[in-house]
Amino acid sequence: MIDVENLTKSYRKGATATQVLKGVTLRIAQGEFVSIMGRSGSGKSTLLNILGLLDQPDGGRYRLDGIDFSTADDDALSAARNRKIGFVFQQFHLLERASALRNVTLPLLYADGESDDGMARAEMALDAVGLSHRTHHVPSELSGGEQQRVAIARALINRPVLILADEPTGNLDAQAGTEILDIFRRLVTEGRTLVLVTHDMHVAACTDRTLVLDDGRITAERPGAIPSRIPREGRIDRA
Amino acid sequence: MTRSQRIAADVCASLRAQTQRTFLMLLGLAVGVAVLSATIVIGQGTEERIMGLVAKHGLDMLMVRAGGEAQVFAPQADRGLAVLVEADARAIEADIPGVELVSAVQNQRDVTVVHEDRSVTTRAFGVEPTWLDIRHRDMAEGEFLSEGDMAAMARVVMLGAKVARGLFPEGGAVGRTVRVGNDPYTVKGVFIEMGVNAGGDDWDDRLVVPVTTSSRRLFNRPYLEQIVIQVSDVRRMPETAERVRNLLRVRHAIAPGRQDDFFVRESEDVENAAVDTSSTVSALSIAVAIVALLASGLVIMNLMLAAVSQRAREIGLRRAMGARSSDIARQFLLESWAVALAGGVVGVTVGIAVATALAAAGVASSRITWMPFAIALVSCTVIGLAAGLLPARKAARLDPVVTLRQRAA
Repeated sequence: MIDVENLTKSYRKGATATQVLKGVTLRIAQGEFVSIMGRSGSGKSTLLNILGLLDQPDGGRYRLDGIDFSTADDDALSAARNRKIGFVFQQFHLLERASALRNVTLPLLYADGESDDGMARAEMALDAVGLSHRTHHVPSELSGGEQQRVAIARALINRPVLILADEPTGNLDAQAGTEILDIFRRLVTEGRTLVLVTHDMHVAACTDRTLVLDDGRITAERPGAIPSRIPREGRIDRA
Repeated sequence: MTRSQRIAADVCASLRAQTQRTFLMLLGLAVGVAVLSATIVIGQGTEERIMGLVAKHGLDMLMVRAGGEAQVFAPQADRGLAVLVEADARAIEADIPGVELVSAVQNQRDVTVVHEDRSVTTRAFGVEPTWLDIRHRDMAEGEFLSEGDMAAMARVVMLGAKVARGLFPEGGAVGRTVRVGNDPYTVKGVFIEMGVNAGGDDWDDRLVVPVTTSSRRLFNRPYLEQIVIQVSDVRRMPETAERVRNLLRVRHAIAPGRQDDFFVRESEDVENAAVDTSSTVSALSIAVAIVALLASGLVIMNLMLAAVSQRAREIGLRRAMGARSSDIARQFLLESWAVALAGGVVGVTVGIAVATALAAAGVASSRITWMPFAIALVSCTVIGLAAGLLPARKAARLDPVVTLRQRAA
């Protein structure tokens, strides 16, 4: 599903260039639930942006679903984001004045071709995250957990092969966070691939596998789902 | 729905969701378009009213009279005023641009017309067939003289309403024979009643014969008292009058410094002044409207630029959801265009309502045509797209990676 080889990326700030990714190689199979951990500045957001085709690497190779996107143009990247990837953000990023339903249909705007069943699909997606009773509420009328569930429904509407979540539980209380992770687990069970970035070990522990990013490199990889194996200081032993 | 239709629908939905901002954006444009369309509607109403006056009072007529400034009637030759001839009329017709119709005119007072035991003494005119249109007259019964009558120097006569009543109190004048001077004439038509005009002339107390008939038979002289001319554009009356004057000076071989032996009169100078005044007012309000439109274009552009900054996160989100940068540009262009069009619709409606109300109150004339709608459509499209261009470009160039990282406002 995801095949990354020796990915490099640096950012230029004035005269100095900072290398954020220094050769990242990883593989994620379809149906896997993977977390990426790391301190802030470790490059995990950059990696997620590249995996999400929002950013292009300077070097290395990235194949998603068998297609090499290393040199794709804006139109091709946009189309692939629309069809293959669903994003879930820490801050939900919902349109404030739009109903849950309209928020969920947003990706349909940019899908190619005709589509007339958008509303029905959006209702189904909201139903899948348990929000069929909230379709006409605007975000300010929803709790944080509900807002994030709307965002997940939005990520699902184009039936993507990959869901990328950036600190999806970061703005939620423990219970809402657990609900979100339960939904993610169900999606994985249904065959979707899910990659999430977090610095919360409890969240990482709910995933199948955790990649630890440190100073632009993957320094550790371990199976998740066993909370007892998470060290106190946030350092994770090599599996 | 296609992708473009979906994006357009989304733009409309987001404009509706932000009614206050949308209203502010379209307000200036609505004012500009309102002023513009009210000006156009009133301007066209005024134009129509003027054309009505032209038709009613013969405002589009130039009259050349023999004898300089002196107001003298026949017999001309005795007074040394035998200067205007048929050839002058033909030269004006042929050589002067802006001349629509020309008629040579002879007239003479105290011509007696007799039918059986009744007789009326009136003023007789010899004219050409074009005279009817030039003087904006019409026939109540029968017909006006024809080219055939001209060629044949026919003894036909058209009677003013009063003359006809005097001779034929029971009506039925057309086709009857009357005696004019010493000869029998057939009554060909009767004019509709005109009443006494502002100069005190009673147009119902007239009779008209072909100018060929009057010059060869009735008056038996070649000289004309008048040449009447219809101009094609009332607003260029002074120009045309000057051309006529120059032509006749040349034809009459009048040396520089010598006085004209004819007089060119423009009819109804007062009305011409009214045309000038109203066009000045129109020009002023059109200038105001254009300033308002340009200012509102700038307002829209600024609000759109601000919106790009405020909605940077939304733009980033849309990019993440698969929007191409061209989709983002299109969204902002569509948005400013839609706002501008909405402003145009409001403006045209208000402008026409105001103009109609003013017309109903008797303050102005109004006439609604397609023009304000077309102008509103075109100007709003131009302004909307021009104002949206810069914001659209700015929005399209935003980096989603950067904007998505911004905290919620």
